[in-house]
Amino acid sequence: MNLDWLDAFLLFGTFQVVMVIGLALLLHLQLGLARIANFGVVGFWAIGAYAFGVLFTKVDWSIGEPWPFLISMLFGTVVAGLAGLLVGWLIADLEIEGVLVGTLGFATVVAILVTTERGLTGGALGMGGLSFPFDIGKTKANELLWFGILFVVVGAIFYYVWRVHRSPYGRLLIAVGDNEPLARSLGKPTFQTKLWLFAIGSAGMGLLGAINGVMVHLLIPEGIGINVTLAAIVGLVLGGTARVWGAVLGVILTVGFFDIVVQSYLPLPRSWYTQAIPVLREMVFGAALIIVLLVRPFGILGDMRRDKLIRSTHRD
Amino acid sequence: MRRTRKRVPCSEGWVLFDWDRQLMDLFSDSLVIGLTQHAPLILAAMGFALIYRLSGLINVAYSETITLGAYIGMWINTTFDLNFYAILLPTGILSGLISVATYLAIFRPAKMRNVGVLEMIIISFGLSIFLRHGLQFVFGYPLRFYDVPLPDTIWVLGVGVSSFRLLALASVVALALLLYWFIQRSGFGLQIRALASDEDLAQVSGIRPLFVTVLIWFIAGAAGGLAGAFYGVGTAVAPLLGWRQFLFIFLVVMVGGVRNIGGVIIVGAVAGVALAAMTLQFGQALYAQLVLIVGFVLILKVRGRRLTEAAKV
Repeated sequence: MNLDWLDAFLLFGTFQVVMVIGLALLLHLQLGLARIANFGVVGFWAIGAYAFGVLFTKVDWSIGEPWPFLISMLFGTVVAGLAGLLVGWLIADLEIEGVLVGTLGFATVVAILVTTERGLTGGALGMGGLSFPFDIGKTKANELLWFGILFVVVGAIFYYVWRVHRSPYGRLLIAVGDNEPLARSLGKPTFQTKLWLFAIGSAGMGLLGAINGVMVHLLIPEGIGINVTLAAIVGLVLGGTARVWGAVLGVILTVGFFDIVVQSYLPLPRSWYTQAIPVLREMVFGAALIIVLLVRPFGILGDMRRDKLIRSTHRD
Repeated sequence: MRRTRKRVPCSEGWVLFDWDRQLMDLFSDSLVIGLTQHAPLILAAMGFALIYRLSGLINVAYSETITLGAYIGMWINTTFDLNFYAILLPTGILSGLISVATYLAIFRPAKMRNVGVLEMIIISFGLSIFLRHGLQFVFGYPLRFYDVPLPDTIWVLGVGVSSFRLLALASVVALALLLYWFIQRSGFGLQIRALASDEDLAQVSGIRPLFVTVLIWFIAGAAGGLAGAFYGVGTAVAPLLGWRQFLFIFLVVMVGGVRNIGGVIIVGAVAGVALAAMTLQFGQALYAQLVLIVGFVLILKVRGRRLTEAAKV
């Protein structure tokens, strides 16, 4: 297969955009519907990647491919889900301050453990040995196939989120976000709902982390900074926290602009790309958060669309 | 300790003595190291708590007030060739002014627009990211250092402490007393407390909310900036300086700041001593941080549940 037309930067940038879309979609359920400020996205993302990596590279597998890979992938997802369950249990009945401190604290704990447990994670040197479970020729072909797999996974996440919007579970999430005591007094299990929301969302983030780890081949502690969380939040907020398409649109406009347009198409001096562009990218993201929330708090797409019955109760 | 006493036979009394002394040493060491090394933490937590208690705002960008304080101090120190003691006043004033500027430019308009609590946090998060990366364009990417002579070592309880750290501790004590007096005893303090408890009522009683709020942001900013300068002179000045401390400041304020500023000071001191003791025990500062984060979050969890139970009645 001739893939000369495909720029390696372009492929990598598109991969990042699609992955962040997945994260933002999962965050949308937590932040947009249930109004839980999860600032620890990167923690779940990283714990999935590292759990996958540790099982895949440290265990002496006796069964043949692709089983070790698939089992490790599943392991990473489940570990992230369990972490989500734990964090959810910690923060589900706390006020917004507690949620913020709990999720930020979790991300910090993951970062600390990754640095200290050198035997498992390679510490600051990083963890290598993550490779594609297939080999269909050139590197670029492998990466393209892996991108296809990511695309399918994010597509599945999109379908799930889209279904949630139109399900009783989604309306329950919105009710929890709107007025939790009311939802509870009407007999809804709000604590349990939040717990499941965190478990499923975190499992998805962990899976995306593992998929990303395979793409980049090397997991390093610097890679799990707050910028991952920021990318998901800024995309979601710009597009519209309450809308499914908000995550997609916002991430394309923010991460897409910097990782695809600036990275591949703008004629900028090469020396800028090492330091100035990444710093400028974060700066613009920060400014975007402020401006959007001040000027258009619901983002580009606006507030969520509700079905007729709920709309009629809101009209006064 | 009592259990050890029971287990160790009397004939081996010296073992017991030795063990006791080790424990005492560990205690005094961690007391001195913890209080002096983590004094800026207490200072910063006091500033953070002021804004939090006045307006209920969790200002994530407070971490950048600290970072900016460190950078401003470094800039004054290296540009005007002033010694470290002379830069503290201008650093505090400039940091306070920047803090007031962020309030007037962003948080006040946001409040006018009735932005929700969650959105307010995201706005302050955005501001934090913006400032953290923006200052790299101003001050450059590499680490920067204060140009100061090596500090004198002063021996306290058998532990060598640098004079800068003792100064940090001294200024924390001074500022804490000043703040306590200011908030609990002075007329302005009464206005601040009135504003924090009921804004409408305070306004009706003739309190100018804008003036008092600006004053609070200035004090908080000055405290944060000084904390940053003390952090910066101890190690290096880097864009992540404040952000690395933010979680601990936040935890200290959450755990200690329920009632008043005194709680913040006590919990801050306890956190500092605990960090130092655990670092000495584990030989690894990161484990100490880990234990502290988990412990504090568990405290919040236990207390949070009790509060909601009480609220149900």
